[in-house]
Formats: sequence, structure tokens, C-alpha cells
Amino acid sequence: MEDISQVVFDSARRLLGELADGMTPGAPLSDRQRADGWSRIEEMGLPLALMDEDKGGFGLPLADAFELVKICGRHITGFPLVETMLAHRFAAASGKPAPDGPVEAPGELQTAQRDYAALTRSAQMTGALDAILALTIAHVSDRRQFGRPLSAFQAVQHSLAVLASEVAAAHAAADHATGVLAQHGEGDAFTLAVGIARTRIGEACSKAASLGHQLHGAMGYAREHRLHLYTTALWRWRDEFGTQLFWSREVGQRVLAAGRDRFWPMVTAA
Amino acid sequence: MTPLTFPAPVENARTEALRAEVRGFLAEALASRAPLERAESWNGFDRGFSRAMGQRGWLGMTWPRRYGGQERTAFERYVVIEETLAAGAPVAAHWIADRQSGPTLLRYGTEAQKQAILPRIAAGECTFCIGMSEPDAGSDLAAVRTRADRQGDGSWRVNGTKLWTTYAHEADYMILFCRTSGTPADRHEGTSQLLVDMKHTPGLTVFPVHDLMGQHHFNEVHFEDARLPADALLGTEGSGWTQVMGELAYERSGPERFLSSIQLLIELIGALQGSESEAARSAIGRLFSHLVTLRHMSLGVASLLEKGENPSVHAAIVKDLGATFEQDLPDIARSLVDARPDLASTNDFCAVLAYTIMASPAFSLRGGTREILRGIIARQLGLR
Repeated sequence: MEDISQVVFDSARRLLGELADGMTPGAPLSDRQRADGWSRIEEMGLPLALMDEDKGGFGLPLADAFELVKICGRHITGFPLVETMLAHRFAAASGKPAPDGPVEAPGELQTAQRDYAALTRSAQMTGALDAILALTIAHVSDRRQFGRPLSAFQAVQHSLAVLASEVAAAHAAADHATGVLAQHGEGDAFTLAVGIARTRIGEACSKAASLGHQLHGAMGYAREHRLHLYTTALWRWRDEFGTQLFWSREVGQRVLAAGRDRFWPMVTAA
Repeated sequence: MTPLTFPAPVENARTEALRAEVRGFLAEALASRAPLERAESWNGFDRGFSRAMGQRGWLGMTWPRRYGGQERTAFERYVVIEETLAAGAPVAAHWIADRQSGPTLLRYGTEAQKQAILPRIAAGECTFCIGMSEPDAGSDLAAVRTRADRQGDGSWRVNGTKLWTTYAHEADYMILFCRTSGTPADRHEGTSQLLVDMKHTPGLTVFPVHDLMGQHHFNEVHFEDARLPADALLGTEGSGWTQVMGELAYERSGPERFLSSIQLLIELIGALQGSESEAARSAIGRLFSHLVTLRHMSLGVASLLEKGENPSVHAAIVKDLGATFEQDLPDIARSLVDARPDLASTNDFCAVLAYTIMASPAFSLRGGTREILRGIIARQLGLR
């Protein structure tokens, strides 16, 4: 990891952490929060983070750029930062004027752009999964019932082990697709890697949201609690830039077309 | 907390060439092997096949040359083992020795033990079995009661029973985990590992234990005043627990933890080939995505092992996710193909499906139960 990346990560964590702490779960941002928050995000240059360096980006290596997206996923701020990052990248690539202010959705996408956006969502979902795991560990360690912390119950420990395993698998899937993009660029291999990542991560999202809520009990279902910021985001994100069903079919269609005898070589090449 | 990551190595020219060579060899060596036989995976036993692997330098690959090894990388060894598993090769005659007994000997053995045994394992001529489980010590391994007492002449007298000992009836050696001082109440203290010659140890008897399919892989091994020579001690007396945990890390880390039912997935794809069914595409896409992700995680474990790190939590995650993936597979196959499982069927899909259904309960038992693995993961999370 390069020094510049570490500086970007640290400042992004600090700023996004403050913005996330400043928002009230379930309540819209005030006009003042909206204006101040976005101007701080722009000051740091975050909306341009996925642009090439000569177009105003940070020039982060690909893996670090997506690490930054994971950091965005760990902090729900109420701003569509990742969507705006994508909008800037795609506008620049097609010679369109840079968007002004926050962008809710990057608009109509070509195949390569869809793949890139789907991977970006993958990294963001993985970050949100980290946050759900951290929130849940903190909750079960803190909350006491029957005279002991929930974490002392084996049933709770095992549910958390499953949650942590899903999160680990999501990281592996997102990191691998990022590696394929770095190694091969956009194209068929990348589309397949994105399909694999989205299929696996989408499933991790479903399991993690369910386990996170279960382990938080009724508290996590309340509007004031932060947990739902992440779970409701995952319930949207897992079906954006290609739904769960779309991506699993994309992968399955390729596997079935290759057939029985090409199956294993396809596994080792993926 | 820091996320657990699995830094997988990237295929290079050397591993690609090796992979092609292994595939070529397996295609020829296994040409007549039926899908149902391939489904036996690492339970298939064939000394001739193991010798052929040894002759090609594909056993003990990472070990020093002076012990018969090839000094190749962990990734290269990984290529060989995943290719043999995916092809359904009969690997049982060398599997345990290559995977865990050899590395344990390399780490803790005396020079004489290493010289005597490692070259034979690398040649595919030496079969090992695992001496861990007992009738009253399954998941609770520290409860072992088998006991070795040092005699006046330095030799050992062993009494006790080992259970679920795969291929003890074929094995040349066992690494025996037992108590050498104190009582089971001392838990991890006072345990040691001893090298047992399975063919020439008076007082040692092997009884078959058949599984629910009627197959004979397991055994019960009795030690009744069995005598082991003074140089049978492996490693340090009293350090058995640390050593056996290291051995288990090798046992839990490999791709056999998600590839043992791959033959069913291959037959399923064969049965669905040409299908336009959206449900089939989606289900196969899902299985493929799980498999590829598990493989990358498992490669990450191999690369952490090579760096000298202790990836026991990573390995526990891969094994737990892998067992769940493999156990889900038969029901997914049944939901997609309208056919009855039947071991005697001439239809490969039906036969392999029947076999995998019956094999599947073991996936989350062998080499550490699901409950033990989840306990290991929970400890890493700071919960216990």
C-alpha cells in the first residue's frame, strides 16, 4: 500500500466518520448538514477518487481505489458519494461535462460501465458488511441477559461465526474481481469475475442482514438504531447495477455453455 | 476490527505448465475411472497411483531435496492437489502422509526419523493414518486416554484405543497423540506424539468399522501393552498438544474441504447442459460463484501458510463454508433434475447423487466438526 493511499484512507475515515456520527438514523439531513457536509466531501476531492490522476483523481492503484470505496461502505452518511464518484468517472470517459454536486444515480450505462459500477457496489457492500459485523460484535459484548453478556452464549457465538465467515467470503470475492480488473482490464473475464462477486456478495448481504438483526434483537429494528442504515442499504444495493438474479444467470449461462468437460478448467481460470 | 483477508497468489507460467502436465497425466491414468469411483474422492485407495505421483515428483513437493522433496512452492503443491481432487483420483494411499504427517515429521522429527520416512512418502510408498480420535475423545481431543509409559530401557508401553482411524488397515505408520504423564484432567499438559509402525508393533490390533454405506475406511485401533522403541517419540515429550494443533492446521486448510463432492457438480452440469431453464442457470451460477470464491480463499490460506503465518481461523472459515456448500449441493441437484438417487444406477448422475447424499453428513464432522470450527472463529472475534 502506498503512502498517498494511507493518507487518503485516514482522511476519508475521519471525515466520513464525523458525517456518519452527525446524522440521526431515520431522520433526513438538515439543509445545513447537507450543504456543509457535501462541501467538506468536495474539499477533500472524494467525488473524483475513481478518476484517473490526469483527470483530477488521486491516482490510487486500483486495489486502493476500491479499498476507499469499502471505507465509504463502512460509513453511511446520507450522501450519495459512491454514486457521484461513478458519475464523475463515466462523464469524463464519455466527454460529458462533470456533474455539479451530489448525484443520486449515474444514469444509463454501457456494459463495461455497468460492470465497473457493479464492482464498485460490491466493494461498498463489503464495507457495509464490515460495519454490520462490528456493530453486532459490540452489541453482543455489551448487552446482558440472564446475568451474562449475549456473547457468552454458544448459540450467539456460532451465529456470529457464520456472519464473520460471510463477510470474509464477500471480501475475497470483491478483492478477486478487483484483481481481475487490474490484471486483464474490462472484458469477458472481468464480467464473469463481477458476476461471481455480485452473486456471492449478494448472498452474504442477505445472510448478514438477517443475522445482524437477529443478534441485535428488537433494538436493531428501531428507527433510532444505526443497524438499519446498513441493512436497508444492502437490501437496495444487492439488486442495483444488475439484480442478484441477473448476475447469477450471467454466470450460470456461461458455465452451462462451457459444459461438463470445460467446467473445472473454467473454475481454475476464473 | 480488521477484516480477514485471503491474499490469493496469481497463476504464473510455471504453475500453468505444471497444471497442464498434471491434467495430461490424470487424463491418461484415470481414463477408465467411472464417475461413481471418482466421487469417492480422497477415499479412493491405490498404491500404484500414489507411486506414479511420487515418480513424477508430485508428493512432498515443498520439502527439502535431501528428504526426497522438490523444494517447490506451496502454490505449486496446491495446483497438484486440486487437480487430483477435481479429477477424482484415488489419493488415499498418500493423502494423509503428504498433507499432515510428512510436514509434522519435517518440523518435529529427529534427523533419523526424517531420513527414514520422508523420502518414502515422497516416493508414494508410505501410507500414514491419524492417531487422534478415541471413543471418549472426539471434538474434545484433550480428553484422550491412550497412554504411553516410558520403560526402564527407554522404550514405550502403550495402552488404549483409537477410533475412526481412516485406512489404519492399510497404513504403514500412525502419528499417535496420547498421554505420556498425568491424567486426562491435566488436559493439554502431559501429552506427546509418537511414531507407530503399524505393520511391526506387537500388541497393536486393527478392527474394521464400517460406515453407513457399508464401506470400510474407518477402523478401531487397539494398543494392549504395545511396545514402541525409545526413538518413537516425535518432537518433545509433553508438547503433544501444540504439535497436534499444528498438524490439525494442515488437515483443515486444503481444497479437499470443498472439492470432495465436485463430481456431483460435474454430473449436474452434464445433466443440465443445453438447458434453457432460468432456474438452472441461476442455480449453477450461484454454485459456481461459491466454488470459485472458496477456491480463492483456500489459495489465500495456502499462501499464508507458506509465509509462516498461522492461518487457523482462515482455515476454519474455509472448511465451515466449504462443508456447508458441499452439503447444500445434493438438494440443489435434486431440485433441478427429475431423477431418483440410486447407487446401482447406470446413469452417472443418479449414482453420484446417491453416493454424495450418503457421504455428506461426514463433511461437517471429519477434521473438526462445524461446532468446533465456529468456536475457533468466535474466539478470533473476541467472544470467548
